[in-house]
Amino acid sequence: MQSENCPNCGAEVIFRSPALPARICDYCHSTVKRIADGVELAGEVAVLPFDVSPIQIGTRGEYGGKHFDVIGRIRLAYDQGAWNDWLCLFSDMTHGWLSESDGQFQMVIERPLKEIRSKLIRGLAKGKKARIGDRTQIDGSEFVVADARMATCVAAEGELPFAPSTGWEVFNVDLRDADGFSANFELEEDEDPAFYMGHYVTLAELNPKNLRAIHGWKMPDYAA
Amino acid sequence: MPPEDDRPNPWGEPAPEAAAGPTAERIVVPSESDSAPAAEQFNCPNCGGTVEIKAAGYSVSIACQYCGSTLDVSNPDVSIIQRYEGEVRKLELPLGSRGMMRGTEWEVIGYQRRSENGQYPWDEYLLFNPYEGYAFLDTDGRGWSLGRQLTAAPEKKTLVGFEVDGEFYEPFYAQTRAQVDYVLGEFYWRVKVGDEALTADFVRPGKMLSWERTRNETVWTLSELLEPHEITDAFGIDPPKGGGLPLPHQPSPYRQKAGQFMKLAVAVAVALLVITFLFGGTSDPQTTRINLATNGVEQTAKVGPIVLDRPRQAVTVSAQAPGIENSWIDLTYTLTNRDTGEIFEANNVVERYSGRDAEGNWSEGSSYSTSKFSMIPAGTYELNVFAAGSRWTQSQFGSSSNAQVDVTIEKGATFYSNLFLALLVVFAPALWQWFKHLSFESRRKSDSDFAGGDDD
Repeated sequence: MQSENCPNCGAEVIFRSPALPARICDYCHSTVKRIADGVELAGEVAVLPFDVSPIQIGTRGEYGGKHFDVIGRIRLAYDQGAWNDWLCLFSDMTHGWLSESDGQFQMVIERPLKEIRSKLIRGLAKGKKARIGDRTQIDGSEFVVADARMATCVAAEGELPFAPSTGWEVFNVDLRDADGFSANFELEEDEDPAFYMGHYVTLAELNPKNLRAIHGWKMPDYAA
Repeated sequence: MPPEDDRPNPWGEPAPEAAAGPTAERIVVPSESDSAPAAEQFNCPNCGGTVEIKAAGYSVSIACQYCGSTLDVSNPDVSIIQRYEGEVRKLELPLGSRGMMRGTEWEVIGYQRRSENGQYPWDEYLLFNPYEGYAFLDTDGRGWSLGRQLTAAPEKKTLVGFEVDGEFYEPFYAQTRAQVDYVLGEFYWRVKVGDEALTADFVRPGKMLSWERTRNETVWTLSELLEPHEITDAFGIDPPKGGGLPLPHQPSPYRQKAGQFMKLAVAVAVALLVITFLFGGTSDPQTTRINLATNGVEQTAKVGPIVLDRPRQAVTVSAQAPGIENSWIDLTYTLTNRDTGEIFEANNVVERYSGRDAEGNWSEGSSYSTSKFSMIPAGTYELNVFAAGSRWTQSQFGSSSNAQVDVTIEKGATFYSNLFLALLVVFAPALWQWFKHLSFESRRKSDSDFAGGDDD
């Protein structure tokens, strides 16, 4: 854990994950980037639009036998909607993304692209397009493209593996198989493509604690 | 045709650009407690009415509950997608209603009236809970189903069916086009009147698997048929009226009963067979042979004595004349109680004919016959046999001039006809329930695009 002061407003900013280079200041929404001898300012992101997500920074849970803390979030929007990608710091200091879209959750963990023997994914990495319904074999299971679209980062908070700026664009492809496994391909301008794999989950399965209390709604028993 | 698979087949024109016009700004409705606020609010840019967004962050479009216009809420500024001219419908489940169903509290936040070109309309309510996500509540007046969107892509099995969680769904409604006729409330996708989707449905008892494809995505939904009281308990509305054909995924009310009755019948049948075997057998046979000419002259013989020690007992008398050919032997039996002189009488015959005609060799009759006396009181009995043999002389084929008949008397008897009747009675209710089940299934499937052919 590293504690610094925001170069913009002076508020304390805490880096919980040693591996992450950036954090959004909770007070002034500045992006604070770690450098060799401290931190520097790397722009400002927009305030998150109001939503009723049950997750918040500080939500804890379990996945794959490991405990995790939610430490960051980016919000991505496209012409027909928006979703949240929550950054989870696992007890062994590895990271996962809890993707939240239309009330459905998937936990995905990055996999080196070179490990993946899939023509479709290799094609995507080379800049080819995928269409909804396209199929491919990954790790011996058949995945189908459920979603493929350009999205824009509209807001972010907390700790992040990059220094986001509002308006940053990403091409995102979601795949799923018959058993609830999900895979995720992301391509950003001037960045290496990234590939994630994981599983669709329900909130209850994550055994969550410190969910956000939403006015008028009873906290579910599994989170109490 | 059912969908070949869920590969995309984009159709239709792209969505028209949002109409330029007045916009409204959203504000968060403050929460008076520690918990986070639950809703956003804005004034409808068409009618000015105060509209709330319950699923803020997820909802993309809202149809104003005052004027019915559909509004775009995917941006901070609310704009009009489609103006609605007409009266706003009163919903069976008003927007904002909350109810507990199967352990989860749901709020009704959206409503669509959908149909196939105006035919076969149904109501679709969108339910929301911030911790559970979304659910769908569908009805066509006959019953209510609670559906959840699947996160897994169902696996295709055989030529036409799909499997989810190891359960098979058979095709019911083939691929067809469904349209939105009316919409109210908020949705996590951009919805408006006139929107079309391709749909197909697959069923197994109690559940329906629905496939839906729009320009942008393929969605699978799994719905469970609710008991009529569940919708009443949750939202305090009248249970569905029912009537008409069963729902595609309505479980047969007779199937379970038929199964239970069948199990019971099998158990009783086994018991009957055991009893028949244990108590119905015969014992202590005594045989007398009678030699007689087949000239109509009566011969007599005695068999016994036989001692019956149970208060009431059956006696079996059998006759066997293996050698006879185109002859018959009339038999009269008198069973006489030596002490009381009480007499029980029976008649029987053994007869066997054979020959040859245009169709080949034929034969009929049997050289064996059995007579059963039931409920004979205890005592010592002897059997008098009066046998008269006759022959069939018209036949060009040989007939026996002599006959030899062995008459056997035994204690006990097996009344197979009684057993058969008992089994019929025992199995009748199960068969009746099964018949009702099959006729229910055929009525249920009569609405299917894949009707005809196999039952079950």
